[in-house]
This record gives sequence, structure tokens and C-alpha cells, in this order.
Amino acid sequence: MISLRKFIAALVLTSCLLFTSCSQQAPSRFDGAQQDSTSKGATAVVSKSQSGSAFNRYFPDSADGYQRVYSQEKKGFAEAKLNQDGKEIAILSISDTVNNPSATDKYQSSSSKINGYPAVSQGSSGTAVLVNDRYQVKIRSKDSSFGESDREAWIKRFDLRGLSKLN
Amino acid sequence: MSASIFELVDNLPKNNVTTMMLKSLDSIVPGEWENTVGFVDTIRKVTGETDEDLIQQIGDRAVWLYNDKSQGYQRAMWLYQTVDRADKALGSAALANKVGNKIPLVGGLLSKVTPNPDKAQAIDLSIKLVVELVAFCQINGIPGDSIGDFVGSLKDYSGESLMRMAALVCVDGLIPLGPDFLLKAQSTLGGMSPSDLESNSTFKGVSDSIPGGNSRGKLNFIGESFDSVKGWMGDFVRSKNLSPEKVMNNLQGFLEFSDNKLDYVAAFIDVSTNYYEHTGTQTLARRLIERAFDEI
Repeated sequence: MISLRKFIAALVLTSCLLFTSCSQQAPSRFDGAQQDSTSKGATAVVSKSQSGSAFNRYFPDSADGYQRVYSQEKKGFAEAKLNQDGKEIAILSISDTVNNPSATDKYQSSSSKINGYPAVSQGSSGTAVLVNDRYQVKIRSKDSSFGESDREAWIKRFDLRGLSKLN
Repeated sequence: MSASIFELVDNLPKNNVTTMMLKSLDSIVPGEWENTVGFVDTIRKVTGETDEDLIQQIGDRAVWLYNDKSQGYQRAMWLYQTVDRADKALGSAALANKVGNKIPLVGGLLSKVTPNPDKAQAIDLSIKLVVELVAFCQINGIPGDSIGDFVGSLKDYSGESLMRMAALVCVDGLIPLGPDFLLKAQSTLGGMSPSDLESNSTFKGVSDSIPGGNSRGKLNFIGESFDSVKGWMGDFVRSKNLSPEKVMNNLQGFLEFSDNKLDYVAAFIDVSTNYYEHTGTQTLARRLIERAFDEI
């Protein structure tokens, strides 16, 4: 006769197998973020963040055959597409780094500036400045015709000085 | 716990009845839709970036944003999932019966589907449209009842979003309701009572997310939304020179059916595909990734 201990051991092993085989997805490089962001009290956007609509007026206007089309507006974030002849060539955005403070780290090691504000390039497509140690203004190219010098020129078209006074 | 955004995108099928159906519609919106699946591949595709550390940062931020319920992404995903009620078993059975690149719509497959009455089909069409409107607002952060903003942005639709709208017009409009599907749907909505709406299963699934308060208010909202978007749909049909026959020709690229079974084509597609959920997941992932890259 099977002893009770063996029976329980077998039961535990079988249920472990059943449990893991049903619930386990392949491990992902994003598991850490998933775990942290679903822990109690975790939020991606904090209450003291600036509203997204507060940013709209600092965006550059449509000009010289370029059209600015607003595309997203969430708390702490506003985004617009820059189109030329109906084709998307770049993405313009302003975000409040209180929601993602590590975004400011990259400016610590950068010595470059645009209009006096700390500037960085990011990946192969992005250029950004940090205004008032808080607001990140970023332009990302969506077309190879719009290069780094275009991004720098268009960052200067934002009302950076106005944005620096936003509290 | 609901699935993570990376699981949802990783689990999008590369090839099933839904993707075959969407590919068959490619000539209507040429080159707009590519079936990009997998979270990391989607990040690469959307951003054009290859640096692994950067991809990690973008993905991590996207995961955080998706999991913050206040940001609306989960609600949008739920809407896209709920409005499609695909029968996965039927889809698999259809794939298993594939001959060459086509699914023959015969025998057992036919006996499992029943054509929708016009009224139910008209409600389905208009509710899918409202789901697009509400999901669009949730994803892009526009107040949920901004019909005007949504209509304005339709002209800017591209990629998988435009493909979703093309499929809506074709397989939920023209095929089941005929060339005058807009008029039919509008007259159905006009003659409908709140209790008619309440008894519709598609409505029941997503009712809580439709603005308008009670059923009468929701019915009004559905009517107003349909009214505002019908111009865009009519222009789409005219500019692409679409007709039920033309769409049928496209669908014959993946489906084999005889002319006396046309009624069943719409019913089969309705039950065996989840094109709203599939392309909706792709749209949501794209918007999330764009925002994540802006914020890191």
C-alpha cells in the first residue's frame, strides 16, 4: 500500500507540474518591468505631473510646407506628427520627466546644448533637450529625409523659453 | 491577472484565417498593412532602432504605461477583444481543411455558421464603429465622446488602422448588407428601440464602455457616431470603387465558395476571424511604443 507521505508527495509533484505547465509563458526580457509595474501602488504617471494639454501651446506651428498634427495627449505627455505633403516625417513631443525620472540621467553625461538647454541624441532617430530640469522636448525622425540637423532646427522652433516658465 | 502587453503582441498569429482574410484585402489599401508580430520586432519596426539597450528601455516603459489602468490602454484592448467573438475552433478547423492556399467553404464548415439577419448585422457594424471611436479616444487621450476629433483623424488613418476600417467596410458592410449598406444600417438604427439594442449580444458585451448613460442615450450616441462617419465610409467606397462583387473577388484569394453560398461568406468570416482584435492590438502597441520612446 502506498504510504500517506508518498501519496502527498506525488500529489504535490503532479500539481506543481500541472500548475507550471498551464501558467508558464516563456521568460521574457520584460518580465522585470511587468512585475514592478503591477506591484501594489505602482503607477506610470504620478499625480503631481503636469497635464498634457498644458504643453500644446509650446509646440511649433505648421510652416514652410510642414503640417503639425496633434496625435496624443495624456497626463504628462503631448505628441504631434510633423507631416510634409501628407507624409509623416517626424514625431514631436513634450513629456514631464516626473513620471519617468531616469529619463534625465542621459543629460548628466552630455556636454552639448541647444539654445542653452542640455541636449542629447538618442539612438539613430532621436534628438532631445531637457528644459528646466524637468520637461523633455524630443524629435524623432520617421523618414531619412529628416536628419539630425533638421531635428535640431525644429527643436529650436518650440517655445522653449515659455516652457521653462511652466510650473 | 490580465495578460501583459508583450505577451499579447508576442502571441499574435503569423498566419491564420484572420491574416489570410486581411491579406486578401491588400489591393484595396495597397501596402498599408504588414502583419508585424512579436513585441521586440514591433519596437524595431515602429522606431527603426536596433540598439538592444534602447529597445529594452522603450519596451520597459511601454509595459509600465500599459499596466497603469488610468492611461486607458487596457480599456481599449478590452474593447477590441470583446467586440470580436471569434470561434477559434472553427478557425482552426477551417485552416486544417485548407487546400493549397485556399479554404473551401463546404460541408462541415458551412453547417457551423448561420447568416446574420440584416438587423443584427447593421447593429454589429455600427457598434464596431463606435468601439473604434472609443478605443481611439482611449489610446490617444481624447475625451471619450469626441466624435468630431475622431472623424477629423480618420483622414489620417494609415497602416493597420486603415486596414481595420477597410475590413469593416468590406466584410461587415458591403458583403452582408450589400451596396447600400450605409442606408440600410442607418434606417435600422433609426427604427430601433433601446430594448432592441439591449437584446443584441455585441452590444451587451461592450455596453458599459459606450457613452450615453442609459440604453436610450447609448442608442443616440451610436446613431450620432454612425451619422458622422458615414460620409467617410461612403467616400472610401467611392474612391476605391468598391462593390460586393469586387470584395468577393478579393476574398476568393483565400476562400473558395460557390455563388449560391454568398450569404455564408460573411457569416463564416464573422465567426472565424478576429480582425478587430488582431489589428487593434497592433495599433495599440504602436501608439504605446511611440509614447514610450518619447518619454524615456
